[in-house]
Amino acid sequence: MARIKIDHSKCTGCRHCEIACSLNHVQNTANPRRARIRVMRDRNRYYPVIAGPFVDAACTSKLFVEVGDLQYDMCALCRASCPEKPYFIEAETDIPLKCDFCGIPPSPSCVRWCNSGALELVED
Amino acid sequence: MYGSVGRCLRVNLTEGKHRIEEIGPEDQEKYLGGRGLGVKIFRDEVSPEVDPLSTDNKLIFVSGPLVGTGAITGASCNVITKSSLGSTLACAKMRGHFGAELKFAGFDMIIIEGRAEFPVILSIIDNKIKLEPGLEYWGRTTSETEELFKKNLGNQWVSRETFLVSIGPAGENLLPLATIINDRFLSVGGAGIGAVMGSKNLKAIAVQGRHSLRVADGSRFVQVINTMINKLNSAPLTSQSMSQWGTAFLVGLCYQKGILPQNNFSTGILSLKNIGTEALNSAFALRSRSCFACPVGCIKKTELKHPGYEGQGMVPTYLAIGSLGVNCGVNDLTTIGMASMLCAEMGLDPVATGGTLATAMELIDNKAASPEELKFDLRFGNGEEMLRAIRLMATKKGHARRLGQGARALAAAYNRPDLFMGVKGLSLAPFEPRAIQGLGLHFATCNYGPHHLYGNTFIDELLNAHEKLDPWDIEGKPQLVKDYQDATAVTDSLGLCSWPLMGLKFKNYVPLVNSCLGTSHSADDLLVVGERIWNLERLFNMEAGFSGADDCLPDRFINEPVQDGPGTGQISRIPEMLPEYYRLRGWDDQGVPLPETRKTLGLENS
Repeated sequence: MARIKIDHSKCTGCRHCEIACSLNHVQNTANPRRARIRVMRDRNRYYPVIAGPFVDAACTSKLFVEVGDLQYDMCALCRASCPEKPYFIEAETDIPLKCDFCGIPPSPSCVRWCNSGALELVED
Repeated sequence: MYGSVGRCLRVNLTEGKHRIEEIGPEDQEKYLGGRGLGVKIFRDEVSPEVDPLSTDNKLIFVSGPLVGTGAITGASCNVITKSSLGSTLACAKMRGHFGAELKFAGFDMIIIEGRAEFPVILSIIDNKIKLEPGLEYWGRTTSETEELFKKNLGNQWVSRETFLVSIGPAGENLLPLATIINDRFLSVGGAGIGAVMGSKNLKAIAVQGRHSLRVADGSRFVQVINTMINKLNSAPLTSQSMSQWGTAFLVGLCYQKGILPQNNFSTGILSLKNIGTEALNSAFALRSRSCFACPVGCIKKTELKHPGYEGQGMVPTYLAIGSLGVNCGVNDLTTIGMASMLCAEMGLDPVATGGTLATAMELIDNKAASPEELKFDLRFGNGEEMLRAIRLMATKKGHARRLGQGARALAAAYNRPDLFMGVKGLSLAPFEPRAIQGLGLHFATCNYGPHHLYGNTFIDELLNAHEKLDPWDIEGKPQLVKDYQDATAVTDSLGLCSWPLMGLKFKNYVPLVNSCLGTSHSADDLLVVGERIWNLERLFNMEAGFSGADDCLPDRFINEPVQDGPGTGQISRIPEMLPEYYRLRGWDDQGVPLPETRKTLGLENS
């Protein structure tokens, strides 16, 4: 099955994927707040996050996870659009968004415009 | 209207009021937007003789029509005002994400008028336009301001999406060298703008919003961008050199042709061992960062390790290595990186600051000034003293007041105006104009002072990206300079970065513009717009008191050949090229646009 692999260490934070998604899903419209992929910034690092399923309640998972000497904010990296976080909510209709894996073949629009190699289409 | 939002925010700081205005479609057709539209409005509203630091001067932030639409490298926001350093028109190019976010916040343009009684911050967040008290932020460095403002927003999700442009202590102290900083990036060509913002008591502008931008033909637009990304990826300059080292890759190339100036443009010999790309790789672990919608990613971040500071910093760019490094005789990358970071924190323009320090060093070297008089032991190569001077200059502490007034004032104060290496009051960007003739002509004639990013002729002269030209030759250079100046005026007005011209031809941009804006321009139509903008800026400067006599380089470049290094014997041949350049521009022999030129460009009434 094809999946989008994210390598955040390569992300340069240009947010071209957000606009690619928006232009592909809303006709002739560019607006990152209508995209199903967002780039989260945490200090000097960037993490592309792809919208997952909607949840209607706040979760109880651990907020910060430490891997090596880096601390990750799991709430920012969470893929769900939830009441705690105004991300992945359509800017004009307020409908929660979810990635629909558009554009196969050859690849989804965000992957096509990602020039840094942070997003990659893989088969496994 | 496609691309643009079509709205302008006018803020009067004296009254503390704001008004939202529509932008007329005729102006947009004639000047595209961005730099062109900003200059048009500035010239209509502000007298050219205005004192830059008075309340009558205005400050215009304007994003081009392609910014934020996803057009590749569409990120640039131009800031237009009258510069307090050179008294010319000033137009900074801000990179990063501010320009795009300004449009998502629902505005193409912000016009700042008057002067606030107390320090304020203009915040446009979630459709709410407010002037917030800024006393708490006054005196803080740019990154502290950004962090504190975001913390004070109280909502981590909103603060993640908010982008700021701010001034540092240098701008607050009305230093002519001050620039504006957005998202910790140094803006390009901003010397003299920080002080104007400081004189208005405006510490920062914050934007965030959720407006949608419309493009005319989305599916064609997406296809065009796919093609352009492929083109950039197949051009070695953009896909390898720029994305690997940023602009620092130019250091070695420039040195080989004698274009890298050393010790205030007085010599050309140095060892690349310490500052070339190999040294860059071993000194820093590079992490790429992009401006909005840029597939190249030429900005490099790293962890800086210096006895006085450890933490996040920028890898020095060519501008920093040239101006703050080699031209001051410093060839240690960590020191240059520190100097560049201090400039960003304090809000100082690296070119103007480097030029001032180099002038001070040559004054001391020539015994025209003593280290005791200047209170700094500024000698070529003394990196630590340079860092101390930068810190004190910005905060106006100690005895750095005289340094803070800029290179021209410093050289004049010690009766050695010949040691000021600059044009129209602004210091030269670090390119030896004797060894790169076309760029030298551009430096002499540029409306914004001698900065290479308003006419990037070295793309052809040095890098031979599209045409094979010799930098030491003058054949065809006036035409090349005119073409690049016009093309850059167009890319700035559209809101695009001018570096990708390394990998793309100007005509490659035409389908991008047409599919986004729904127009049917040809490349020549766009270049005419560029020429119109260039002439309009020229007219403003002429009314502000500049004339053809200011289109010259310092005597050193015209009278003394290069003494050593790869460019030995070269001399600037400006007097030979200037008449031809004036003729191509349609100006008389004094450099004044002829009535028929104004008529063909549609400027007869302005």
